Amino acid sequence: MNWLVRALAPRATAHAHCDIPCGVYDPQQARIEAESCYRIIQKYHDSTDELFRARCINVKEERAELAKHHIDVMWHDYFKPEHLEKFPTLHETCWKAAKQASLVKRSLDVAEAQKLLDLIDKIDMMWRETGGPAATRMQPMQPMAS
Amino acid sequence: MEPTLRDGDWLLVDPAAHAQRAPKMGDLVVARDPRAPERLIVKRVAGVAADGLRLAGDHPAHADDAGLIGPLDPTLVIGQPWLRYWPPRRIGRV
Repeated sequence: MNWLVRALAPRATAHAHCDIPCGVYDPQQARIEAESCYRIIQKYHDSTDELFRARCINVKEERAELAKHHIDVMWHDYFKPEHLEKFPTLHETCWKAAKQASLVKRSLDVAEAQKLLDLIDKIDMMWRETGGPAATRMQPMQPMAS
Repeated sequence: MEPTLRDGDWLLVDPAAHAQRAPKMGDLVVARDPRAPERLIVKRVAGVAADGLRLAGDHPAHADDAGLIGPLDPTLVIGQPWLRYWPPRRIGRV
């Protein structure tokens, strides 16, 4: 059946929605959520209060999901084919990072949270090396005159 | 584009539909997105003005897409969808 599906499948995709990407990207958004996971896992292990530990799990799952979302936004919306040429491991790194975020969501091992931070740092390096900071972030505001 | 089209519909597109006549109001069209030419969009022509076509979605939430896309140069239209051939229970002209 696969050959039939391949033969019949459309050759191009047309989009019906007209969202406007804001063009602002920064892996720090993912990193902050991943740091939250790291710290929450530590607090979980430091506590004996069952209610507090349950809340830790809840919040950590929420933060890991947000980290995954922000990784996906970098992957789908920021990175372009020319970036892949410069960094052939780009897809693999983003894929591993998104999977690692899923793993952190269900894990209470701080080492797994550290792995997620390390992968996000690799994405951050690629973002910097492809001119991300200048192209996608607003320049810092001038301090207000007193 | 609901209710006319749904996400994942497979369509046959006639690339010669506008060889003899310009797109007119009400036509369903596949066109290059003027903001990102490598991206294809599927929309309905909501108006024809001097500076180009106004496009809109059929879904009320996307009825004001013309403002987002801007006027569309008719040469960016690449065809007119005419048949949905997948999914089987929704096969038919569009």
